[in-house]
Amino acid sequence: MTSREKILTRLSGSMSTPETKPGLGFEPSDHPDLLESFVASLKAAGGEAILVEDPERLDERIRDTFLGTESLIDTRRDDTVDLETMKGCRLAVFEAAFGVAENGAVWIDPRERSPHALLTLAENLAIVLDRRTLVPTMHEAYARIDFDGISYALFLSGPSKTADIEQALVIGAHGAIGLKIFLL
Amino acid sequence: MIDHARNAAEFLNDPERAHWHDRALWFVREKRDKAARSVPEWEELRKSAEALKAHTLEHLGYYLQRFEERAKANGIEVLWAEDAAEFRRLVAEILQQHDATKVVKSKSMLTEECELNPHLESQRIEVTDTDLGERIVQLAGDRPSHIVLPAIHMKKEDVARVFAEHLHTDPDNPDPHYLTRAAREHLRQKFLEADAAITGVNFALAEEGAFVVCTNEGNADLGTALPDLHIACMGLEKVIPSAKELGIFTRLLARSATGQAITTYTSHFRRPKPGGRLVVVLVDNGRSRLLAEEHKKLLSCIRCGACMNTCPVYRRSGGHSYGTVVPGPIGSALAGARDPERFASLPFACTLCGSCDQVCPVRIDLHRQLYSERREVVRVPEYRGKVRGLKTAAFLLRHPRLYAAMMGLGRVLLPRIPRRLLYNRFNLWGREREMPMPAEKSFNQIYRERKR
Repeated sequence: MTSREKILTRLSGSMSTPETKPGLGFEPSDHPDLLESFVASLKAAGGEAILVEDPERLDERIRDTFLGTESLIDTRRDDTVDLETMKGCRLAVFEAAFGVAENGAVWIDPRERSPHALLTLAENLAIVLDRRTLVPTMHEAYARIDFDGISYALFLSGPSKTADIEQALVIGAHGAIGLKIFLL
Repeated sequence: MIDHARNAAEFLNDPERAHWHDRALWFVREKRDKAARSVPEWEELRKSAEALKAHTLEHLGYYLQRFEERAKANGIEVLWAEDAAEFRRLVAEILQQHDATKVVKSKSMLTEECELNPHLESQRIEVTDTDLGERIVQLAGDRPSHIVLPAIHMKKEDVARVFAEHLHTDPDNPDPHYLTRAAREHLRQKFLEADAAITGVNFALAEEGAFVVCTNEGNADLGTALPDLHIACMGLEKVIPSAKELGIFTRLLARSATGQAITTYTSHFRRPKPGGRLVVVLVDNGRSRLLAEEHKKLLSCIRCGACMNTCPVYRRSGGHSYGTVVPGPIGSALAGARDPERFASLPFACTLCGSCDQVCPVRIDLHRQLYSERREVVRVPEYRGKVRGLKTAAFLLRHPRLYAAMMGLGRVLLPRIPRRLLYNRFNLWGREREMPMPAEKSFNQIYRERKR
């Protein structure tokens, strides 16, 4: 008998197809002002929200915010990037599909368009997000994700961080040291 | 047998450090409270999580097969390991197939449980733990003392010494910022050189055939980004029905663990990268046996560590005192259920205060579990003396006259026996406690006198 068969034999009492499964027994909390909640949550996660009122000026705002970033990779335009370029990348621009008000997380699905290494190798991340896509909680967030076609995708909430040395929060562990979200 | 009380006494030999440890964990507990209170439906969330875990365990065989089927359709290989030895062998074989000699690993308590690192190292495969806390204890030749905060037992000065030796940093600079930056540079090199990545799994999604890994540092994401091979290791209990339920669990996990609203990286893996290989290893190692017993509920645990942070015993005895990979209330309960002889002292490393039950995001009745395990573990020879003492006490309490006589004798003798004689090696009560000094008159005597 293979290990698989042995394990499944031991689990034979739990093989039945479930007829129903427990649902949410409550209404998720409301966030009356999604934008306000999102901005506050992102700040708590160590990130920063930048409101862009004029979409025409988005690229300008990104450039102005990260002054002196020559090595920029913009995944909205640049298709393929080699590892060497990514290693030296000071700023990468990503587009997020939507954001979550309760925790400041954004859903990023790089697909084949951009290598997922860039998300962690880039020193700074500029993320472009349409403020109309904000949802209140993770329940609404998962309800809108279609997993078909996804290889690797993530919720990213602020820059990478650690508190493994004496509980002291340090921003910039292995991934981005800075993260700003440009809300259109 | 692991003697928790003795190990704890050793930890308490340095009262200043013990106090510092206690405060550090209480700080995390307070952050958790704040995060939980910020969600009005918190209690309902916990109830939903509890019900969903119970449901999944009820149909565990079904959901695991469903996960396997769907993951395979996505191009993920799924392997099954009966025990730790088979798991180690499988992982080593896959790595050898790829001639991988350098592996980066993100935090996985399962790989600690199965002692994967020493095995791979014996096969000349270098494993680098990439979670900062885990890297610190790895370099120090130590073990994690907490599942979420592996180096919580170390002070920043300790870390500075370890890093000075291995990463050539300034031994006199214990600034966490400075040390973290040094680790970032050091580990960045390891990431770039790695031939393969190993990660744990926080949640496996049966319906989507995908899995989720949660980190704050981004080490799982960077680790898996570059090499073609990714091996994800999961215990059988990590499967949940579908992505829909992630709404519940992602809201609970980080808030319970560190007080954050969500982990920085909540990463979903559904397919190998083009030309790459993605393998999930499902590990039993005693889990299916627990499913059949009264300890089933322990398999609901999502490893947030909240029960440790709140536990008055854990905070004052340190993770290492438990002698297990998972310490604290959940670790004691799991160890006591799996190996009641070796871990007989752990169900007693508990005051039955029930604080862990209150913070557990999946509402495991930890203190009840520990209480019921006590009945099992007292059978070990080490507890023979305690059992005999309690049986004698029970006998006396059933015989009022004899009891009264013994108490009378005690009142006369106790104050007169020399201290050294009284606190002898058979006096188990007196080992950690002072004997009470008897009152001059018993309650019965006073009662009789008043009545007269």
